[in-house]
Amino acid sequence: MKCGIEIHQRLATEKLFCRCPSILSDSEPFKEIKRRLFVVESETGEIDRSAKEQQEKKQEFTYQIFNENCCLVETDEEPPHEMNKDALLIVLGIAQQMNSNIVEEVHTMRKLVIDGSNTSGFQRTSLIALGGKLETSEGDVGMLTLVLEEESAGIVSENNGSRTYRLDRLGIPLIEIATAPDIKNGKHAKEVAEKIGMMLRATGKVARGIGTIRQDLNVSIENGARVEVKGVQELKSIPLYVENEAKRQENLLVIIKELKSRLGEGWKSKAKPIELTIIFSSTKSKFISNLVKKGAGVFGIKLEKHSSLLGSELNPNRRYGSELSDYAKLAGVKGIIHSDEDMEKYSILESEWKEIQDSLNCSKEDGFAMVVAEKQTAVRAFEHVLRRAEMFFVPEETRKANPDGTSSYMRPLPGRARMYPETDIPLIKITKPLLSEARKTAGEGAEKKMKRLSSLLNEDLAKKIFRSPLLPVFEQLIKKGAEPKLAVTTLTETLVSLRREGFELKDLSFIEKVLSIYNEKKITKAAIPEIIKYHIQSKETAEAIIKKHNLGLLSSEEMDRIIKECKGDIKRIMSKYRLRLDPKELMKKIKGSGR
Amino acid sequence: MESKPGDKVRIKTDKGTYEGRLMPSKEGHVLKLDTGYNVGFSDKVKVELVEKYIAPEKENPETGEGEIVIIGMGGTISSKVDYNTGGVHPHLSPKDLLKLFPELSSFPSIKTIPLFSILSEDMNYRFWQQAAEVVYKEIKNGAKGIIILHGTDTMSYSSAALSFMLRQTPVPVVFVGAQRSSDRPSSDSRLNLMNAVFTSTNNIANVGVIMHATTNDDYSFFHLGTRVRKMHTSARNAFKSIGVPPLAMVDYRRKMFEQLSPARERDMKRKTLFDKRFNPNVAMIYIHPGIKPKLIDSLSSYDGVVLVGTGLGHAPTNPNKHPFATSILENLKQLISSNIPVIMSSQTIEGRLNLNVYSAGRLLSEAGVIGSMMDWTPETAFIKLSWILGHEKKIDKVKEEMLTPLEGEITKRSAILSTTYLQVDKLAQPHVGAIGWLTDSPLIEV
Repeated sequence: MKCGIEIHQRLATEKLFCRCPSILSDSEPFKEIKRRLFVVESETGEIDRSAKEQQEKKQEFTYQIFNENCCLVETDEEPPHEMNKDALLIVLGIAQQMNSNIVEEVHTMRKLVIDGSNTSGFQRTSLIALGGKLETSEGDVGMLTLVLEEESAGIVSENNGSRTYRLDRLGIPLIEIATAPDIKNGKHAKEVAEKIGMMLRATGKVARGIGTIRQDLNVSIENGARVEVKGVQELKSIPLYVENEAKRQENLLVIIKELKSRLGEGWKSKAKPIELTIIFSSTKSKFISNLVKKGAGVFGIKLEKHSSLLGSELNPNRRYGSELSDYAKLAGVKGIIHSDEDMEKYSILESEWKEIQDSLNCSKEDGFAMVVAEKQTAVRAFEHVLRRAEMFFVPEETRKANPDGTSSYMRPLPGRARMYPETDIPLIKITKPLLSEARKTAGEGAEKKMKRLSSLLNEDLAKKIFRSPLLPVFEQLIKKGAEPKLAVTTLTETLVSLRREGFELKDLSFIEKVLSIYNEKKITKAAIPEIIKYHIQSKETAEAIIKKHNLGLLSSEEMDRIIKECKGDIKRIMSKYRLRLDPKELMKKIKGSGR
Repeated sequence: MESKPGDKVRIKTDKGTYEGRLMPSKEGHVLKLDTGYNVGFSDKVKVELVEKYIAPEKENPETGEGEIVIIGMGGTISSKVDYNTGGVHPHLSPKDLLKLFPELSSFPSIKTIPLFSILSEDMNYRFWQQAAEVVYKEIKNGAKGIIILHGTDTMSYSSAALSFMLRQTPVPVVFVGAQRSSDRPSSDSRLNLMNAVFTSTNNIANVGVIMHATTNDDYSFFHLGTRVRKMHTSARNAFKSIGVPPLAMVDYRRKMFEQLSPARERDMKRKTLFDKRFNPNVAMIYIHPGIKPKLIDSLSSYDGVVLVGTGLGHAPTNPNKHPFATSILENLKQLISSNIPVIMSSQTIEGRLNLNVYSAGRLLSEAGVIGSMMDWTPETAFIKLSWILGHEKKIDKVKEEMLTPLEGEITKRSAILSTTYLQVDKLAQPHVGAIGWLTDSPLIEV
């Protein structure tokens, strides 16, 4: 098996080609606009096979616009601005950390994508560096490319040839790191993804949270084909996707071998679609009768000598028939019913079943596929089914990662014909000053950073803060002289337990303020969570809160007075003044006075 | 053997070896890798030829007999970069057009004439004269509709010029362009061109401009050629009718051609008043605070001057003799007395000129500045004056002709514009920019 991985990570800067903030909206869209896209030739005069297939769907796209993060660039009404320098610096910095060969000139390209996820019909993408390697437990893994590109628009809904997307995400900078197919197995793939993810996070310049990092897996086996499984979001499921894809290709090869022996190399189906609606005139199948009432027909096509193979399992709950079904969906049907399926599932009677076989002239060895749709749609669906059925090889495909670890067909693997130059963006010469600025931007790198953190904290806390999205806040606090351990516990434990109580701190600079008051010995550690809590509730300043709620550190004289008052009863003192004194200090005083 | 763009080559550097197709570039070398990415190299690297590129044969772009004639005058819509040679060539053979726009096959026979391939800003009267001549000839030969592919930046100048050069055309002459180039999947050229072709088959016979009505790919407006203006640098719905509703709302997909304001009917028997004479020696000056009298004096070698004045049609006259202010009134008088017509227009674009309201206006009017009560756009005033000066020298005659409406360039009544004309289309949602001709930003709804 050969496996490579592509990591897509959003950068925490403004958008790549306009000055909109890279934030997602939780408000209602401000407006909607409607557009269409058309396939065009590449600069070399070729038409990309993947784009061509999308074109067939002839969709209309609706785009939701949000005020706070969309401008005329996202709506394709204004040419792109210059490339965001902050984003470029981050990628140049990471490329240097990976010892990748940075290009002399950055040429921005348009990568044709006409599924509607880009208003322009292309994704702007720039190759920044080539080559490099990553050390792993199973040897070096080569780097292929480091690319800076735009995030696509997020899909909201899809129905009957029209899709709705939201434009808040469109244009957020993404770094794409692609490895060579040097990965040995699923576990190894996870390690590589993890390592690259750490490197990216160590810069402190990448976005954090759900959806901000995505992995695409490129898997091929001997005699199989390169297949890209797109959009794996969780690290822990990477091994499952890798192994399932390898398994799928293995199982496909077995089926292909059987089909070749049954039908011979280069088999072309001569079957024609046949209308079967009349068979179902008094059917018990609600699924069929409901659609027929709406004007659809039932159509079938013979799949010569396909019996038993359609039901052959490729992955858990994915059969060879599912592959054909995925292709049929290109025509706009929900899927196919095939002869190896359990007809009871659709409430189709055995007598109806028999009639279908007779009408399609199927023998025991033959299989069939059936759709319930308008005639034209059905005919197109069968064209796609036959096209897939005639492929006696593992096709190169882009597949969508399903939540259960399997994948379904999206489109053919795109080729170079999908790329043409973005003429609106001048090329960028990579100069020495730019590279040294980039080194500063990207920071010291993951290893050095971990080492430095370990020198400040015990291993557990160092690891904890390294993985935390609040790492940049931590670094800032340390710079301002905060105690490292206290900073970590405040950022992790304190904030988490407050969140559980329903208190969410929005302004993280407040922590810096509180910790600096602590450094001035004006409060105790124990008072810190209380002060933060009061601040979340009232938005008052730290000083005002300390005064109002009597949270200031007790002076030595005050402590003496209290010890006297409570007759040295530690329990009593602590229950009353826990937040205002240091227990060690108290013990020292009581012991001292006892002597 | 030296490598040329299109060739497969190998480039060796100290960092590695790269193989790909050589792309045209101004300096250095640009290589297209197998991944499709382009990579730039400095002049210093060595380029090794792997495989020579063989260019496909070019077909003759001008062909066919057609009821509809498509004339290329350049611009984004009609050209495409040839990456193998680096040049821009007219993309206009019927085969190319059909390839780009397969729906064209549902229309009557189409003839294409790639006339020029120039950038919009390089446009001038010589191009208009030649285009007018070709259109006149095609109409005489029986063309039922003319479509002109044109760059958008100066399209309204050209549409005004052809409006005057080809008065009373019996068939529509439809200018069309694109704000997004045709080589992009999101190009507006498809909707624009298809609606232009559809318009050219309808019962209308004006010279006009077809462009997106809104930011959506839904329908277009057909604007009168003398009243249209590009009002946005980049948006699809940049073209607006000034002071009048558009002539029509057009959607070829729904076969919709809704007339929104009075238009000339098609009449194959009507004779075109063809007059391509044009005096290019006319200046257009943007009045601005602190404008220097010597700028006006420098115009004495021109045959006509158009002022783009402020507000109702003003320029500095300093009637109160304020020591800070400088008047250009005497300098304008000097021009007029030497038989140079001076025409007023307004920077506000929308609205009518009125030289009676303020003293500056009255002084300019008394000095002989032409244009009070007119509502022409600055560009149309400029084109009309240049065209009149092509056949008329006497200043009184020039004035008389300027003030006579010829092709809708001036109206007598200022229409109260509402959005009601949109209601003719029940399907037209009040979406972004749907009434954009009243507003500047396609993201703001009025």
